[in-house]
Amino acid sequence: MLVFIVRRLGTMVLTMVVVSILLFLLLEINSAGVAIKVLGPYTSEEQRNLWLEANGYFRPIYIRYFSWLGNFIVGDFGDSIRFKVPVGEILWPRLASTGILGLAAMAVVIPLSLILGVLAGMREGSTLDRVISVGSIVTTSIPEFASAVFLSTIFVFYLDILPGTSSMSDGFSVVQLILPAMVLILYDFGYVTRMTRASMAEVMTTHYIRTAVLKGLPYKTVIMKHALRNALIAPFTVIMLQINWLLSGVIVVEFAFAYKGFGALLLEASLNQDLFMIEACAMVAVFVAVITQMIADIGYTYLNPRIRFA
Amino acid sequence: MKKVLKDANGKRIHPYVPELCEQLREGKVDRREFLRTATLLGVSAGAAYGMAGKIMGTEMVSRPAEAAETPKMGGSLKVSMQVQEMTDPATYDWTQKSNVARHMTEYLTFTGPDNITRPYLAEGWEASDDLKTWTLNLRKGVKWSNGDDFGADDVVHNFTRWLDPKVGSSNVGLFASMVDEVDTGKKDDKGNAVMGKRMTEGAVEKIDEHTVRLNLNSALLAIPENLYNYPTAIVHRRFDEEGGDISKNPVGTGPYMLSEFQVGEKATLKRRPEKYWGDAPYLDEIRYIDHGEDRSAWLAALASKQVDALFEVDVTQIDVVERLPHAVLHQAVTAQTGVARMQRTQAPFDNINLRRAMMACMDHQKLLDLAHRGKGAPGENHHVAQIHPEYAKLPALKQDYDLAKKLLNDAGYSNGVTLSVNVGNATGAWETDTMQALKQQLAPSGINLELNKMPSAQYWEVWDKAPFSFTGWTHRPLGVMVLNLAYRSGVPWNESAYANPEFDKALDVASALLDVEERRKAMAKVEKILQDDAIIAQPLWRAIFTATNKRVKGFTKHPTNYDQFNKVWLA
Repeated sequence: MLVFIVRRLGTMVLTMVVVSILLFLLLEINSAGVAIKVLGPYTSEEQRNLWLEANGYFRPIYIRYFSWLGNFIVGDFGDSIRFKVPVGEILWPRLASTGILGLAAMAVVIPLSLILGVLAGMREGSTLDRVISVGSIVTTSIPEFASAVFLSTIFVFYLDILPGTSSMSDGFSVVQLILPAMVLILYDFGYVTRMTRASMAEVMTTHYIRTAVLKGLPYKTVIMKHALRNALIAPFTVIMLQINWLLSGVIVVEFAFAYKGFGALLLEASLNQDLFMIEACAMVAVFVAVITQMIADIGYTYLNPRIRFA
Repeated sequence: MKKVLKDANGKRIHPYVPELCEQLREGKVDRREFLRTATLLGVSAGAAYGMAGKIMGTEMVSRPAEAAETPKMGGSLKVSMQVQEMTDPATYDWTQKSNVARHMTEYLTFTGPDNITRPYLAEGWEASDDLKTWTLNLRKGVKWSNGDDFGADDVVHNFTRWLDPKVGSSNVGLFASMVDEVDTGKKDDKGNAVMGKRMTEGAVEKIDEHTVRLNLNSALLAIPENLYNYPTAIVHRRFDEEGGDISKNPVGTGPYMLSEFQVGEKATLKRRPEKYWGDAPYLDEIRYIDHGEDRSAWLAALASKQVDALFEVDVTQIDVVERLPHAVLHQAVTAQTGVARMQRTQAPFDNINLRRAMMACMDHQKLLDLAHRGKGAPGENHHVAQIHPEYAKLPALKQDYDLAKKLLNDAGYSNGVTLSVNVGNATGAWETDTMQALKQQLAPSGINLELNKMPSAQYWEVWDKAPFSFTGWTHRPLGVMVLNLAYRSGVPWNESAYANPEFDKALDVASALLDVEERRKAMAKVEKILQDDAIIAQPLWRAIFTATNKRVKGFTKHPTNYDQFNKVWLA
């Protein structure tokens, strides 16, 4: 197991290095472009050259890369072009905000989709299964931008019971979290429910479940002791991947509700060509992707008794 | 010896004022033109309204009739608007930046929603008979928030930095009559000398602690109006020494001070505790909250009463606002527009027949109806609006596809041509809608217009470099202001790289004429040159909208989207 984890960590570091090289080549190789983005389009060439020299842009490219990577590792991402403060001062609070939104959504999505998925998968083809399946397909089919508009129309414009934006300008507010979380829940719970249902339905057709039933074990015991653990292996991986999805998937939701999170930051940075912010956001997003993937792999291996290590 | 006219208080009256009164009496100028010109010549707004009332036999007041309700002190006004960096007022390129700064850094003059310019930090001004010398009498007793006295040194410092090319202020175009063209010592790709602009020596002169004189190279009537253009806010004389960043070192003469500022999130202005030189404002606090670029989110914030006012409402959203029981829709007739400008220095737009072919395809009224629900006025491809006092009506433009095809053929595009226009939607989605409508009108002639949509930030990087772009231009009270900013040779905001000495000369003449009739004749020439050179396809003039909560009182939408909250109060 330890060797497996070390191997996974190695792969993770390698992935990060490859991504960092690509990111550096894409965004930093054109040093004149960097100077224009930082200093603005109306600056003179002389001003740009002075800035480039002061910031070491005339050094060989490999030295620039290692220097850039070193700064990244110690958390020095540079100053945001748009916000005029160190990138970290904006990035970490925004990441935390998205974390809060993600937690709120997942706190509902995970229990709800697991329960509904298991209920549907237990008796494949039953009325309950069909209701849950159709419901989850419908909610997953509605894109987030559409459900954001529907929910706003209902709860903000007609019922007038929820705030229309979630900028938290007066401090954290649970009420402002409701609409963006609802959109994420609607979109995501259907997907996890479908995955859980499929997994549960598959387990219910296995020989050992049939044997357990024929042995005369109570149905509840068959489900709880024999079916559930195996049925939850696939949903576990899916749920871990949802954390990764959240980082990019929340862009639309955060934009629609003016929620100041990581997704909105990534979008704003791209729209405003906030170079160093884009680099930091991209690296953080990749880091979250590889770390959740690694946890999913380890968890999957641990949960699945069919995988053994030499 | 020439007789000097004086008013009841012994103040000199510009010699043109009596003639202006006569023109009003004879109906040659309307009330608005009278008020605008009289105030520009130094007559106080109150006196100008009084003169007009006397001549026209009607009682007039300089301010809209006060509401029956008594204004209430206190409260926090929340406004949904993008909060952008706002380092240096001289280089502002977005009205939003100036809206935050406007309540702490003030202007020498003040143009109200009625388009009339009044004294502000300058309590009055006098123009010489030839309009080449302007004497600004600065208000006494105005204090900066750091305790310093406001005075002539501040104003001289501001003019000097505005006209310093290193600062990069668009004000160089506005005050072109205070700059000289000089050889920068650099050569362009073709080996020609690169010319630059420098402030003329002695163009701004301190007479005493509260008097400044502007010595212009050519006559200019629009000086007072130029002084309320949004990058002309007056900063402290040590602004540059103290960091040159108003958001980090907020020193101003206004009634509010910046207490909180976070780009992309919020800006809070709190009322200064010490006595303000003007009438005390009603609000304790003004809060700008950034709800991003999605205008639906702004509207949702108003609908759920999270904010009291919006920066702007899109033309497509006005029906929704009208259905909100607690909201009021505000509209302003404006000279806001968008121009599809072509750089005639770059192919294929160096071909005048191609440019003219495009113009021949345009039906401006249809473009207005399709792209802006008919709210506004049709454009005329010369960037002077009907609401500008110097507007001269030219023969109506007509859509003529036969002519367009002939011109296209003459241009060497008998099989048609594909053009790509950059659209940044910096002033709203109407920009894309307008270009889509134009695309449809160009198609029958064989011109295939492709829209290159890009984020607004990216757009501003190329707006003055790309061969073909659609740029939104804000309202300015005089037509000559925008022409000086955008079409005079070599000025920073000349996005079409237009350089026509004949146009510059005609604009000089029009900018210096006091007589409204004469000015109109001169403007006809200016407009015709611009139209004939076909460097801008200008589909429409747009009305603008905003919405407030009903509890917001004393608010009038300014045609330039300028926020002026000193007289706003919350019920």
